[in-house]
Amino acid sequence: MGAKAALVLMAMLSLGLYTAREWDGTLGTSDERVIHLNFWNGFTGPDGRTMLEIIRQFNESHPGIEVTMQRMEWAIYYNKLMVAGIDDRAPEVFVIHASTLPRFARAGFIAGIDELFEGSPPRLPLDDFEAELMRQLRYDGQTIGVPMDIHPQGLYLNAALLREAGLVDTKGQARPPVTYDEFMAAVHAMHDDPDGDGRADQWGFSWSMWRHNFQSLMPQFGGRYFNDDGTSALDCPENVAALAFMVSLREGELLVPPPENNLGWVGFRQKKVAMVFDGVYMLGDLKRLEGLEYVAAPMPQIGPNPGTHGDAHVMCLQEDLDDDTRAAALEFMAFVSDHGLNWADAGQVPARRSARESEAFKSMQVQSAFAEQLPYVLFPPRSPAVFELQQQLDFAVEKALRGRATPEEALREARENFETFVRNAGLPMLADSEAPS
Amino acid sequence: MDWLRRVAPYLFITPYALAFTCFIILPFFVAFGLAFVKLELTSQQPAAFVGFDNFREALGDPYFRKSLWVTVYFVVLAVPTTVALAMALAVGMQAMTQRWARNTVRAMLFVPGMLNVAVAAILWQWFFNGEFGLFNHLLESLGLPRLPWISSRALAMPSIVFMTLWWTVGGSAILLLAGLQQIPGELWEAASLDGAGAWKRFTQISLPMVRPVLLFVLVINTIGAFQVFGQTYLMTRGGPELATRSVVQYIYETAFNNYRLGYGAAMSWLLFMLIAAFSLVQFFVLRKVDA
Repeated sequence: MGAKAALVLMAMLSLGLYTAREWDGTLGTSDERVIHLNFWNGFTGPDGRTMLEIIRQFNESHPGIEVTMQRMEWAIYYNKLMVAGIDDRAPEVFVIHASTLPRFARAGFIAGIDELFEGSPPRLPLDDFEAELMRQLRYDGQTIGVPMDIHPQGLYLNAALLREAGLVDTKGQARPPVTYDEFMAAVHAMHDDPDGDGRADQWGFSWSMWRHNFQSLMPQFGGRYFNDDGTSALDCPENVAALAFMVSLREGELLVPPPENNLGWVGFRQKKVAMVFDGVYMLGDLKRLEGLEYVAAPMPQIGPNPGTHGDAHVMCLQEDLDDDTRAAALEFMAFVSDHGLNWADAGQVPARRSARESEAFKSMQVQSAFAEQLPYVLFPPRSPAVFELQQQLDFAVEKALRGRATPEEALREARENFETFVRNAGLPMLADSEAPS
Repeated sequence: MDWLRRVAPYLFITPYALAFTCFIILPFFVAFGLAFVKLELTSQQPAAFVGFDNFREALGDPYFRKSLWVTVYFVVLAVPTTVALAMALAVGMQAMTQRWARNTVRAMLFVPGMLNVAVAAILWQWFFNGEFGLFNHLLESLGLPRLPWISSRALAMPSIVFMTLWWTVGGSAILLLAGLQQIPGELWEAASLDGAGAWKRFTQISLPMVRPVLLFVLVINTIGAFQVFGQTYLMTRGGPELATRSVVQYIYETAFNNYRLGYGAAMSWLLFMLIAAFSLVQFFVLRKVDA
């Protein structure tokens, strides 16, 4: 190909790209405007397929609106969303975890959506949602998201191993432990280490996601992230007690796998671990497994109070939309909320009480067992520095479990490092004065 | 059409030059500017010029220092072993008299380098898996105890270096082989006739003659090692207990998880200066030896 031909090719390519950029996506003319909504989220697993089906139903039932979903891995997604948002290129609708909301709320591109919950009747009845969760979504005097679900941590059990150990109810069905004593008895009963070398052939229990495990135990011991005066409480005695319990299971009797080889969830899948704490969203993983007989239950009460850790997927709306697009986006968000039962099928606990009270939901064993914990879920703190806070907790729990610091030392270091971080970054510890303590 | 002939070369390089300017030159200077600014995307404060404050904070930041040590540890482990192994492989391939054998080995060495870091890291994550990984399975079948390859603080980084060797040594070996093949065969023949043994021929002929390529391989590997991120992030997320969190990962987390863009830019400039200093030292030392 000569230079002249190459030049002509480049010119044609440039023209083509320019034309494509200017094209508004329509073919021919039409009086009826189709509103396109971009919907971003991190539902890359089976939950993504469920969401695609909900979107298909929406697109079919709303001819004037077309929703396109883009999904990517959560960590990458949040980076892209933040950059797009501050550059006024955010999608019309996007999903954010309640724990991440404080960071994004401060970036200033999320719109208030109070009108969805106002009017008579309101498009979405506020009293159908958990009050504590809705409080998590209030920023600068307005609600900035529609919660899709609540995903608490809970207890997964291998039903066959429970039965083998005689942990059954009057009908002979596997009976999950409820109290501390029952939990410890179950851990012992299903622990099989014939030579006592600390490498059991079968573990009664294993830690899985260390930080989530710790965050689930925190409220049980009366723990918290912040004091009422807004100062950090990461090393409060109650949190120390929760971490000390985690450490204690590897002391003396070596009841959990060593931290160097701690693969709780993998062990559970392989039937080498009888019980494990994890999130309701792991159900999708279990559904793909064959031959594992599992049941779910609320977290056993290890400390003086019932409690667990939970988070929520929240649909948010971009600011600066024209009226038609905003109305279409709000309708889409409400539609997804109305289809909470479909969403539950993806391994989630729907945010709407009406969905949870349906017979269909009650027949979902894992989801409904996890849902029992909603009255006492401790949500992550409303801190714009939540990533650093979680990372400091990661370090502290890991250090304590590996025996490189006492629970007190590890959590004190976490608190000090977190305080240094917010001071250097110029961030407040908590999002605003509405923050729950 | 003389003008067309004159202009055509520039038009051909224009797309690359534009991309290079947009994605390398421009960010380079933007990052330089950001390094002197306090810009926290979630602080609700406008960007403010803070002079050298970000640099001062980095130098006093224990996490930055820790990640820097982790990175230097990786460089010290990975670069000499990669270059030494690559040289050994190149000499071995050079010694092969059958062309097909050399080409086969060369292709096999090159294949891992064609894999994306994500693919390579996930593959090796399974190899290293404590419970059901390939390596522990092999150890057990030999009657040896299992090893916590990437879950112990002591073993995690050497394990990642091992994976990096597998992944990158082929490219370096092929470059060095190309360098060795440029050496006139008469030199070795003459040395052999003069009674020089294999080691003497290697140290007195091969090594000096291949030094320019060796310098290139060394500098490229050093720069790459200082920027290690993919394999550590994907295989261990920087753990256990930050034992493998490289400085690039810390910069990434600072800038894109905590949204501290100014501080992240300052740390990236410190890393850039460190890499530049190491590269210059290597360049001058090897050039001096050459002279």
